[in-house]
Amino acid sequence: MTKRIIIDPVTRIEGHLRIDVEVDNGSVQNAWASCTMWRGLEKILKGRDAREGWLFAQRFCGVCTTVHAMASVRAVEDALQLEIPANAQYIRNLILIAHALHDHIVHFYHLSVLDWVDITTIPKAEPARAASIADGVSTWPGNSRRELEAVQQKVKGLVASGQLGIFSHGYWGHPAMRLSPEMNLILFAHYLQALEFQRQANQVVGILGGKTPHIQNLAVGGVMNAININSLATFNMDRLGTLQSLLQSLIPFVQQAYFADACLLAASYPEWLQYGRGVANYLAVPDLPLDAKATKFDLPGGVIMNGNLASLRSIQDWRDRPIRVAVAEDVTHAWYEGNGAQQPWKGKTDPHYTDFQANGKYSWVKAPRYDGMPMQVGPLANILVGYASGHALTHKWMGAAQKRISPVRVTPEDLQSTMGRYLARAIRSAMLSDLALQHWQLLADNILKGDDTTYNPPQFPAYDCEGVGMHEAPRGSLSHWVVIDKGVFSNYQAVVPTTWNASPRDERGVAGPYESSLLANPVADPEKPLEVLRTVHSFDPCMACACHTLDATGREIAQVKVL
Amino acid sequence: MRPSEAQRIPRSVCVIGLGNVLMGDDGFGSLAVEKFRCQYECGANVEILDLGTPGLDLAPYLYGKDLVIIADAVDAGEEHKPGTLSTYCESDILTRRAPLRLTAHDPGLRESLAQLRLVGHIPFELLIVGVVPESCAFGTVISPCVLNSSSAAADRLASLLMERGIDCKPRRTPVPPNLWWLSDRRSPVPQANQSV
Repeated sequence: MTKRIIIDPVTRIEGHLRIDVEVDNGSVQNAWASCTMWRGLEKILKGRDAREGWLFAQRFCGVCTTVHAMASVRAVEDALQLEIPANAQYIRNLILIAHALHDHIVHFYHLSVLDWVDITTIPKAEPARAASIADGVSTWPGNSRRELEAVQQKVKGLVASGQLGIFSHGYWGHPAMRLSPEMNLILFAHYLQALEFQRQANQVVGILGGKTPHIQNLAVGGVMNAININSLATFNMDRLGTLQSLLQSLIPFVQQAYFADACLLAASYPEWLQYGRGVANYLAVPDLPLDAKATKFDLPGGVIMNGNLASLRSIQDWRDRPIRVAVAEDVTHAWYEGNGAQQPWKGKTDPHYTDFQANGKYSWVKAPRYDGMPMQVGPLANILVGYASGHALTHKWMGAAQKRISPVRVTPEDLQSTMGRYLARAIRSAMLSDLALQHWQLLADNILKGDDTTYNPPQFPAYDCEGVGMHEAPRGSLSHWVVIDKGVFSNYQAVVPTTWNASPRDERGVAGPYESSLLANPVADPEKPLEVLRTVHSFDPCMACACHTLDATGREIAQVKVL
Repeated sequence: MRPSEAQRIPRSVCVIGLGNVLMGDDGFGSLAVEKFRCQYECGANVEILDLGTPGLDLAPYLYGKDLVIIADAVDAGEEHKPGTLSTYCESDILTRRAPLRLTAHDPGLRESLAQLRLVGHIPFELLIVGVVPESCAFGTVISPCVLNSSSAAADRLASLLMERGIDCKPRRTPVPPNLWWLSDRRSPVPQANQSV
């Protein structure tokens, strides 16, 4: 008998994602992703000074503030064909790298690892055994027996109190939780240690951005950091030194704890390399520009169709013409006026709410399409595009992951799965941790060469101009599309990563990545749909900017309804 | 044993505004800390932060603090008039008895505190200065009653600090607050054919 399960909301933070699945014989037959609230962010930017858009854009979401600020200034710079100084590129890149590392660490440990780790088994673990398991796979110093014992004591206290607090909503004891008590202890110890490294990544953003969250150092045309290596008041050698030591302390956690843990998880749950493939078209935009003109990038961009790596079309830079005509947003099944698709520069955001209609309109998220096709974005797209491009750093860390997970085989084909998305995010983090020091070096070398320029003032033409600002954000390709009339926005549309991934069906009835990734997903107990959450959480959903909303009353607990 | 007065003075202090400035009265937190910053000056041990809606990313800012005071819009139930200002302590938020909810960011605060308790770096004292919002609908406006309460909120933040012996005093010359999201400023945009 087919059962309908509704999970609302799905996300641990920044909620408002509702997932409906039909389950038959313990597996999902049909799925709908719906965003349950609207706020119409773009409307607030129309009519505003194009030099200030980024200040508002970075308030779209409380978590990914920086990425919207960056996409917004890049959009205006693109419209003006304004080049920014090399120092500005490197400073922006370092902010983006630190933000992404922070975001990936928080996603893995704080937002999703408890889908795989049953903390209620931790009191049964033998800390000495756990320490020796951890020592066998990693050189991370936070795995000592004493450290693990201390964590176990904390968890014992928590479990004994009978008040698990924030952990009381977990699906503890679920048959799909299969790690040993020792493995659970190791991963939860890193969950707690991650809080410290989250702080350090924040400090990097704070030093460069002047403030975090909501960096203050951006400007259309560059950054506002005053550089003078001999002045105490400006960005000087002292600050550079602090940055370097923060990055150097962050890197071991990323490579020896997070990356190792993600590989451990994949090796322990190999069946999850088969579920959750979904839409196998991938889009990644190039990022981390290496020169003022942004002609060379450290992260390659491209488009892959049907999971076929040979189909790669490289996106060399942000001036790429095809992407500008290929992207359109379809509102047939979204709560907006009209049907069919519009290119973002011509996009409208006029709400038309109809209640949840599985065959009609059912979400506040629009359905972005690339040449009419749904696309998956995110670290997985990043890694597949890098792999297909022969990108050395991607191959280095993909190879390292394969070696760790062996004898379980992980090919680029296997990566296209629920567990693959976790792995891809960890591979990307390891790559970014290498790039962090490289971009620090680029900045230091350029400053020591005597270049202290950070800003090229913008000038606005008297005619309309269009621009798109691209950024490969932690959750995937982000693009802000602007039309500027004499220095003022006349249209503003943000096509965000979660819009791509949480997309509803389009005019032709083709489902989006979340929806199609859930097909054939196992569900052992419809009352406890842990497996559905694993697949949805693998995308790192964050609905705040996708559906343009914030709940004014704040719901506390996810509801699961079985109809 | 009663600790000496000197030991009781919190050393690391954080005054935090929470809320989204794009969501009407939800921007109260940002407004209140900006007014506080402009009317009062504090010692170097007091950080004043407008954190927006950070969710779980709140934790790093609370990590190991002696005292945290948060300004935010709160849903305190029907019986309270919009614009009403109240001060709450941590247990008001964390116990299930209280109907109190911080607008939109409640889960982030509770979860952040629970995490910090586990790692042993929970703030020693946490207070919330809350206002009852009139409307948290989308838009960069603040209701007059909430705007009116924001100066009183700044004073409340200051007196909470002073009561605890923290270095905080009125500025001799107050600084004009930068309420950038409320102002509809339209400075002339540099055109291509003009000198900049």
